[in-house]
Amino acid sequence: MPKVTYVQFDGSQQTVDVPLGENVMRGALYNGIDGIAGECGGAPSCATCHCYVDDAWAEQAGKAANAAEADLLEGAASELRPTSRLSCQIVMTDALDGLIVHMPETQY
Amino acid sequence: MTATILADNLDSYVQDPLNPVKPNVPAFAGQDQIPDHVPPELIKSCGLMFSPEFLASPHDYMAAMQDNFPPIFYDVTPFRNSWYLTKHEDCLFVLRHADIFRNLEASPFPRDPNDYFFFIPQEVDPPQHRKYRNIVDPLFCPAGIMKLEGLIRQRAQDILDSFADQGECNFNTAFGRPLPVSVFLDIMGLPQDMRDTFVSWADIMIHSQDQAEIAEAFGKAIAYLNGAIAEKKANPDGGVVSLIANAEIDGRKLSDKEVFGFVCFLWIGGLDTVYATLNNIWLWLAQNPDRVQEIIDRPNDIDNIVEELLRRYSVTFSTRVVMKDIEMRGVKIKKGDRVMTILPAANFDPEVFPNPLEVDFNRPRKTILAFTVGVHSCMGGHLARMELKIALQEWLKRIPKFAVKPGAEITYKPGGVVGPAAVPLIW
Repeated sequence: MPKVTYVQFDGSQQTVDVPLGENVMRGALYNGIDGIAGECGGAPSCATCHCYVDDAWAEQAGKAANAAEADLLEGAASELRPTSRLSCQIVMTDALDGLIVHMPETQY
Repeated sequence: MTATILADNLDSYVQDPLNPVKPNVPAFAGQDQIPDHVPPELIKSCGLMFSPEFLASPHDYMAAMQDNFPPIFYDVTPFRNSWYLTKHEDCLFVLRHADIFRNLEASPFPRDPNDYFFFIPQEVDPPQHRKYRNIVDPLFCPAGIMKLEGLIRQRAQDILDSFADQGECNFNTAFGRPLPVSVFLDIMGLPQDMRDTFVSWADIMIHSQDQAEIAEAFGKAIAYLNGAIAEKKANPDGGVVSLIANAEIDGRKLSDKEVFGFVCFLWIGGLDTVYATLNNIWLWLAQNPDRVQEIIDRPNDIDNIVEELLRRYSVTFSTRVVMKDIEMRGVKIKKGDRVMTILPAANFDPEVFPNPLEVDFNRPRKTILAFTVGVHSCMGGHLARMELKIALQEWLKRIPKFAVKPGAEITYKPGGVVGPAAVPLIW
């Protein structure tokens, strides 16, 4: 099963299995990982699963999947960076096995 | 007032889903029970949910609350006194701070204090809350709901087949009620022939003002659901009642009270809210044929259309109990007070949604409050969105031009879920 590493704002990190087809937001919620709220559940209608894709994975993870994600990222609580994504919109594929995402300072 | 003494009881309250105890939340009602810390100029009786002024046109009324009342005020009614919040920012703050604003006694339905149960997951706080959500989230997350698209579409088509050639209907009973309730029964694994009975019980529980009548309807629902749970324990199937009845958390089976509180909560949540949402939206569609055409002409924008309609026609409210003294916008709110987030009003906050009454399918995507936010965000939100999307697509395919029946008088049902009592249509 593909693995995702979640790096907290304080630098601590956890690596967990996230099934193919599952999204990175839910991977955090199901494994009790803090730092991602995901409060709308992936509609997307909030920006509380904001993450920074690690630079080494930026190309594979890609940019905002749709206009809604781009709009919502504009209103995210933490600084917007070139690798900012809503983690609910990153769906696990074999190509993303080993993905590293960094948590922002706050989700709201 | 004895507000402080009562509120201190909250500190010692232990929330244990395995041993549910009624929380001792101060309950104030009426002019005689206003805590001393409430400034006189913030005491109002705005008439939300029940007054003739509200019921004349509820969403216009709630939009006007932005101008007609302070952003935070203390509402006094014979039923319950509470702070009311109408600013988008303030509602987000309350709903996102589950430690300060707790979901205690969140459901108003009468429960035996000596045989208490929690509505799960609504009345369970973090960190236990997420364990319950993890049981059902795979089914209710966007990917899970997408698997139901074909089933929901088939239900919508079958219901339309039953009346589309008749040239008229009462939208509520012909479509607004049957679609979400039949889909809900499919998901829960409950029989379709219970549809109208369930709706009548829920209708009394949510809209009646007669406590005896509410208790009677709730009693019938409790008896039925307990029977259904026993049946699913004996004969598990793929429905949600069975899933919950046989679920485990922390390596143990859910207790009887946990299972009942979970199933009962979904039962209440699933019956009235999408129904009211559809009724509100179809009234608007019938009055705005040019906007109907716009929806038909923009099939690729259906997700934005659904989101904007949910913003414009949110149907319910969310209450919390304050766990520590706090100041918001200079207003002192104290431990033990209740706050209610007026979700539809917050969706009309002009600072976030300019020209808020205008239905604008091109609005930039912002956080809407139709399903609240925070850990207790509605787990049925994706199902509701899917149902509304399919309802629009299938209805407009069959009945693209329709209007309110001439002479029909639109009245609204009082209570905590806002929608018209009937929407008579012709085409």
